[in-house]
Amino acid sequence: MTPPLYEVRDLVCSYQGKKVLGIERLDIAADGPTAFVGHNGSGKSTLFRALAFLLKPESGSLTFLGRPTEGHEELLRRDVTMLLQDPYLLRRSVFENVAYGLRARGERRGIEDRVAEVLEMVGLSADFAGREWYQLSGGESRRVTLASRLVLRTKALLLDEPTANVDEENGFLIAEAVKNAWLRWGVVPLVASHDLPWLDEVTDRRVHMKRGRIVEAEVETDFLL
Amino acid sequence: MSNDEQRPSPGGNRVRRASREVNALGYLSEGFLQGISLIFSMNEEVWSAVSATLRLSGLSMAVTLLIGVPLGFLLGYCSFPGRGVLRVVVDALLSIPTVVVGLLVYAFISNRGPLGSWQLLFTIPGMAVGQTILALPIVLSLTASAVENTDHRLRSTLLTLGARRWGLLFSTLREARHQILLAALTAYGRVTAEVGVSMMLGGNIKWHTRTITTAITLETGKGEFSAGIALGILLLAFSLLLNGALSFLRRRDAA
Ligand SMILES: Nc1ncnc2c1ncn2[C@@H]1O[C@H](COP(=O)(O)OP(=O)(O)OP(=O)(O)O)[C@@H](O)[C@H]1O
Ligand SMILES: [Mg+2]
Repeated sequence: MTPPLYEVRDLVCSYQGKKVLGIERLDIAADGPTAFVGHNGSGKSTLFRALAFLLKPESGSLTFLGRPTEGHEELLRRDVTMLLQDPYLLRRSVFENVAYGLRARGERRGIEDRVAEVLEMVGLSADFAGREWYQLSGGESRRVTLASRLVLRTKALLLDEPTANVDEENGFLIAEAVKNAWLRWGVVPLVASHDLPWLDEVTDRRVHMKRGRIVEAEVETDFLL
Repeated sequence: MSNDEQRPSPGGNRVRRASREVNALGYLSEGFLQGISLIFSMNEEVWSAVSATLRLSGLSMAVTLLIGVPLGFLLGYCSFPGRGVLRVVVDALLSIPTVVVGLLVYAFISNRGPLGSWQLLFTIPGMAVGQTILALPIVLSLTASAVENTDHRLRSTLLTLGARRWGLLFSTLREARHQILLAALTAYGRVTAEVGVSMMLGGNIKWHTRTITTAITLETGKGEFSAGIALGILLLAFSLLLNGALSFLRRRDAA
């Protein structure tokens, strides 16, 4: 049996001493996409930042594919990528943005083809590659930032609200892209979103969060209503 | 002249004053025309001052950027104890008067000064020392600000894309590139426009250390407006060009 993608144990994260995340136990499977849902401020982004090794947890332990992660964050950041909730485009062309992570990994050959491939996956024609970062609409820039993560084919792909600012048609395209990342390349997508019908397209596996904790689905709906 | 003017009349004073103004205007416009013709006739004195200005500012800017950009970058990028104090000191040096720099450097490089044996006084390199001291705080402070003002999401973005220490550093430098160029242009503006340092350390020696600004000072003092105007036009053209480039960059950056 393959180990889980992540095993989270007694994880505590705080901002300026204020505890916002406390997860006793959470296993995230490596055999397909998982969705994370919960109210604003329930801790989805904070959990994702910890899983992407951007935020150092205050305490607790984290394993990645069965191996402890502490002290190996820099190496592990090459196996995990994250699309931030409020993504940022580098002040460069679209091509340079998407190629950035490949270049950082020392890849030299086949970059053009791989960039074109992921741009197509997010519904952007090849001539977008030549555009500058300031020549894009909000939804287009978001899709470029998604493409720049997809292209890396990392083991885990954390997407924090990937369909904000994106219209229905392109939302559908993104759902396809996320599923294909799993089916074609074995990239495990973890997706946080408030768009439940859209999430249904991607996966029926759900993790519910509330006030920085993991809750059972039934419990959550009880509290919500 | 009209007959009216020659005839003494109660309104004579007013007329005379008006004609004096016409003369003053003529005097200025004549100076302006002469100035233009000086520029286009490649007057040697004018061009010697231009060439001294370009060599001097080129030298001081080269040294300033070589020191200022890397140090300014580190000042904005790294956190270390005393960084805040250093930032305040550098910002305070932004408004250091040119004559104070002139005085201090003079004391060091004059014959009796500690660096007197280097024979830097009244030479272009000697003036460049002063101008570098003038320009360095500008480049340091604006470069540090440029780095500090990069988007707060930049670091996490680069990390999620897999950048490591050096990639992080160079990509941050690249994100701030327009602002850093802005810093360089601002410093260049200060250096080409200053008089105090060039006058005190250069001595305004004809064919040698006479720059555009010191030449204007001298010519105006002698009442030689046409030469002053010629040089003024050139200096103005310089700064217009520079400010054009600055506002172009600023607008592009705001896009
Ligand atoms: N940088 C920060 N500094 C201080 N508090 C923060 C910071 N970021 C988030 N918080 C707090 O942490 C808690 C969890 O925030 P988080 O962003 O993880 O929620 P979320 O589930 O992603 O919400 P949303 O659905 O609005 O994106 C919130 O109470 C929030 O106010
Ligand atoms: Mg969030």
